[in-house]
Amino acid sequence: MNRKPISSLPIIRNQRERVNQIEKNNRVVHVSLRLAVIVLMVITTRLNVLAQERAMFGISPSRNMVSSDTGLPRTWDIESGENIKWSAPVGSQSYGGPVVAGGKVFVGTNNEGRRNPKLENDRGVLMAFDAENGEFLWQMTHEKLSAGRVNDWPLQGICSTPYVENDRLYYVSNRATVVCLDTEGFRDGENDGPLTNEQTTEAIDGDVIWSYDMIAELDVFPHNLATGSPLIVGDILYTVTSNGVDEGHLNVPAPQAPNFIALNKNTGELIWESTIVGENLLHGSWTNPAYAMINGTAQVVLPGGDGWIYSFSAETGEMIWKFDCNPEGSEWTLGGRGTKNNILSTPVIYDKKVYIGVGQDPEHGEAPGHFWVIDATGSGDVTSTGTVWHRGGDDFYRTMSTAAITDEVLYIADLSGFLYALDPQTGEHFWTYDAYAAVWGSPFVADGKIYLGDEDGDVAVLKTGKQMELLHETNMGSSLYTTPVSRNGILYILTRNQLFAVADGVSLDKTNDDF
Amino acid sequence: MTSIITWVIRVLATISLVAFIATATEASEWPSWRGSLQNGFSNETDLISNWSTDGENLIWRADFVGRSTPVVFNGKVCTNGRTGTGKTKQAIVSCWNAENGELLWERHLNVYNTTVPFNRVGWASVVGDQETGYLYAHVVDGRLICFGEKGQTVWEWRLGEDFGRASGYGGRTHTPILDEDRLVLSVIGAHWGDHAGPPRHRYFAFDKRTGDIVWIAKPSNNRPKDLNTQSPPVSAVINSQRLLIGGYADGWIYAIKARTGEKVWEFHLSQRGINTSIVVDRTTVYATHSEENVDEGTMGRLVAIDATGLGDITYTHEKWRVNELAVGFSSPLIYEDRLYVVDNSANLYAIETTDGRIAWQHNLGTVGKASPVWADNKIYMTEVNGNVHILEPGPDGVKQLDVEHIEVETGRYAEIYGSFAVAYGRLYFTSEEGIYCLGYKDKFVRGKTVLPELVEDPAPASTVTSLIQIVPAETIITAGDAATFSLRAFDRNGRFLREEQATWSLDGVRGEIRSDGTLTTDDNSGNHGGKVIAEVGNLTATAQVRVTGPLPWSENFETGRPSSWIGGGPSIQVVDEGGEQLLRKGPSPAGIHRHALYIGPESMSSYTLQADVMTTVQGRRKADVGLINSGYTLDLQGNHQRLEVRAWAAELRLGERMTFEWETEVWYTMKLRVDAEGSSSTIRGKVWERDTQEPDQWTITVEDPMAIQQGSPGLIGYSPVNVFFDNVSVMENQ
Repeated sequence: MNRKPISSLPIIRNQRERVNQIEKNNRVVHVSLRLAVIVLMVITTRLNVLAQERAMFGISPSRNMVSSDTGLPRTWDIESGENIKWSAPVGSQSYGGPVVAGGKVFVGTNNEGRRNPKLENDRGVLMAFDAENGEFLWQMTHEKLSAGRVNDWPLQGICSTPYVENDRLYYVSNRATVVCLDTEGFRDGENDGPLTNEQTTEAIDGDVIWSYDMIAELDVFPHNLATGSPLIVGDILYTVTSNGVDEGHLNVPAPQAPNFIALNKNTGELIWESTIVGENLLHGSWTNPAYAMINGTAQVVLPGGDGWIYSFSAETGEMIWKFDCNPEGSEWTLGGRGTKNNILSTPVIYDKKVYIGVGQDPEHGEAPGHFWVIDATGSGDVTSTGTVWHRGGDDFYRTMSTAAITDEVLYIADLSGFLYALDPQTGEHFWTYDAYAAVWGSPFVADGKIYLGDEDGDVAVLKTGKQMELLHETNMGSSLYTTPVSRNGILYILTRNQLFAVADGVSLDKTNDDF
Repeated sequence: MTSIITWVIRVLATISLVAFIATATEASEWPSWRGSLQNGFSNETDLISNWSTDGENLIWRADFVGRSTPVVFNGKVCTNGRTGTGKTKQAIVSCWNAENGELLWERHLNVYNTTVPFNRVGWASVVGDQETGYLYAHVVDGRLICFGEKGQTVWEWRLGEDFGRASGYGGRTHTPILDEDRLVLSVIGAHWGDHAGPPRHRYFAFDKRTGDIVWIAKPSNNRPKDLNTQSPPVSAVINSQRLLIGGYADGWIYAIKARTGEKVWEFHLSQRGINTSIVVDRTTVYATHSEENVDEGTMGRLVAIDATGLGDITYTHEKWRVNELAVGFSSPLIYEDRLYVVDNSANLYAIETTDGRIAWQHNLGTVGKASPVWADNKIYMTEVNGNVHILEPGPDGVKQLDVEHIEVETGRYAEIYGSFAVAYGRLYFTSEEGIYCLGYKDKFVRGKTVLPELVEDPAPASTVTSLIQIVPAETIITAGDAATFSLRAFDRNGRFLREEQATWSLDGVRGEIRSDGTLTTDDNSGNHGGKVIAEVGNLTATAQVRVTGPLPWSENFETGRPSSWIGGGPSIQVVDEGGEQLLRKGPSPAGIHRHALYIGPESMSSYTLQADVMTTVQGRRKADVGLINSGYTLDLQGNHQRLEVRAWAAELRLGERMTFEWETEVWYTMKLRVDAEGSSSTIRGKVWERDTQEPDQWTITVEDPMAIQQGSPGLIGYSPVNVFFDNVSVMENQ
């Protein structure tokens, strides 16, 4: 038995003591603001080139949650309407997106919004809104799999954040289909193909270009729900399959089914698949691929459902390196009390390194986790050689979040509600912010600010840098399970049931709004 | 805004109430998980405001791992939990001396025939009976056990094998409650006869002394939205009807007559199953949930319901609501004119009962599972991440008096899912790191709560019988044995009138029944099932009887599926394949592919089960198929090309695997023999291609040092593609 008074512990729930403790631990490090501004400008310029053509979870193929956008709001308030440009109801649960491209905002949600009154049952729904005024444009819906919660959890909607490239949008539906849509839907009056036999073609409906059914084609067994935010490089789309254990959580019913696939983005044809995880699945495969060219080799980096992270040749699917994100001796225990974790976060590739944290289904509870920085230039099993630095134990808890790295500072959150600012090269700890609520999404960094949402519905705005400064905190009226994004000076925040556009200098007329 | 004056009046009223109760009793007990008043309130006074894991106000602590709320009655504190590692993982039920923590007794219970993992064992709280001293526990695998004062088994049901209780994975297991002389518990599943078909949420009322089934109620035929829900019902008298009111797996709140199980009203609250208990204040029911609401695209709601209605009162009897309040696991506390609820993110809210106005809120951490308790004008509350709060609520806010943090040996927080129990001037709670007793060292006041009576108007002399009820409502007997049934009459309010004489008859049961309700079955009647029927005037009641004959048994399905086989779901049926009648388990149209079908009573021990099996293939999909004997499973696994013996699927306790190459579209014969000898057992499995010579040697043999002593024979399949069974036989061990 080891019992400590709460005041000496890092997961203090007493607000005053928790803050005092954190402040005590903080190290004050001076930063050169001038250097920071210069670096930010360089990154901004580079990212602008990338961002103009496409949008995705994590801003760019490296999945670094940093945007070049400027002029973003520091404060807003949904009660008064201050700096609220518009808001729009979505479903009752929303885990996909938002992403913004081509003047539209896309979100994954469920059908509780009943945008199409003809569709009354539970469905996965992808909605498109006008980014400027919040007008609802069209939606694509998917009926639930008959298997129910074991393969397609009720009311969870579409959990995939779409990848958008010009007039094409790609995502994974709740039915474990990889779907390519026309970003205009049927509002343009055209039925783009090759797939042209959609059941409904009204202006409110999505226009499917092609669809690839991972269950029918590959016998994938998605555990609880198919997620995965695809990534496209060149003509190849990469995604995880969500293959997982059965309802008993011990048996892998489809060990021969792939965990990772690559499809032709134009036709949906399978290019390569990897069954490398096989029977070693711990729970499911729900994360997202990242991509980078490292020392002349195009790598797509995919976390496996076995707690390992894998790098593949983007072209062939041949494994380049792999790394076990659980320390030796870790033990997987059903129900969440073990020390071995799987991976729900998305890897970030930055400066030839991969940044990734481990975690578990939030239902499994909070617990010590690990955050790894891995040298991405190796080959083979680099578990014993690839660690650049590591943070774990009582210093980092289980996470589902993705890192943001800019200006020599890395920001990463954990499920327990802590946001850490660390040195991306060494792991040196600068500060910790306590959200006092579970964090499922990721810190979004832009315009010298960090935006972080939590389960209590609060969004914190912090100043970037090596010293913590909370600029603003406001409640959005409902939980946030997604990550804010921005485009053209507008911040888009997706709560569980509302999509908000937030911008400086606007004020929503509260007499007509619906939030 | 509540004024200070209002608050003072409220506190004075509290003092009066406490004084009244205190004069009637010296101290209280906590025999049920939400206390004697079923609402989280205790009349105890002079309780601690702070404590320390280092010793301050810590009276005793005992090693124990649990996640339920302890109960305190008859001088003891009892709870439900888990113990062991590896092969010794088990459920455990323990009782201690409430004053000094001396262990009075503990029972280690094997867990089997379930997919619930170890760390969710013991989620349902136990309940104690102050009258008999009995303790009742519902184990995650479906064992329902009545323990005597020394921990001996008084009676037991195995709800999976006896009533087709679905296990699920989540482990949220229904907490039993006592109402008058009935133990009430719900399960999701289906068994046979009138209770066959797809899984549904049913309530069972058992005679608390004998375990006889008093009634089985299915308030609706809605499909359950979740297989594991926890919403223990609350007893109340409304409109002179004694009711049990609780949330169900279909998202509705039902009020049923406590003595008959008849539905009185229903209220559709959630699109998913309900995991919180309601609270009742006079004729108002307060209910919460955290899933999708039924009438708009939002999640979570606290609702006040006028409980005097009849039928569907969803849109007629709602008094007020607090929308988007996600209270999905923690049950409400009510005290005076305020409700105290904890949302899923561990925020505590004080809410006016008059109109739902939120007076204040206070953050307790990040995960809210336990339920708040009010005692001595303080709120005692645990939070999942090892945190124990003592709070002093006020009119406009709350003062944090104390918060302690508990860890397990590794330095990680100790999970706390259970709530506080308050009794004898002490506070008790269970965690992953022990059971704790807190209080002042010189104070231990033994006494019992004088419960406020749930008063009904007596039935007028002219009251006519509205319903007759046979007890037991269902039973299992051996061919040749006798059973006696009684008949009870009730009026339209569900009030018991008298034992009734009836005209008795049988439907499908091979035997005879006398005019006094005594059934005698034929010695050679073999396995079968049927009904006992009682008629009084134009009223009819039925009871179900399963009769089992002596071994050996054999079944080739030429006359269909035996009517009294238990469970299996609708995907199991007899089909004609080229003129041969086979039992087919197909892919489930909805839900899971894994099902078990039990073909005999759970009292069977040391026997051999044999069956022919064949599976198909589609793409990369292959099936698993196997046998169950006394809680042990032997199955052939298609994708993995192996043979496995296990005792607990989620933990693979006793999991013994071997590579075994076998083919689809080929018939095999499987044989599973279990010999229970003392505290250990030997499990032997054999597989060979059908129509070839049976091998002399067993294919796989496993020794279990902690024998499962008995259990039903059964068939099991994991069937993303078709699985077939034929020529099933059960025989004495040779």
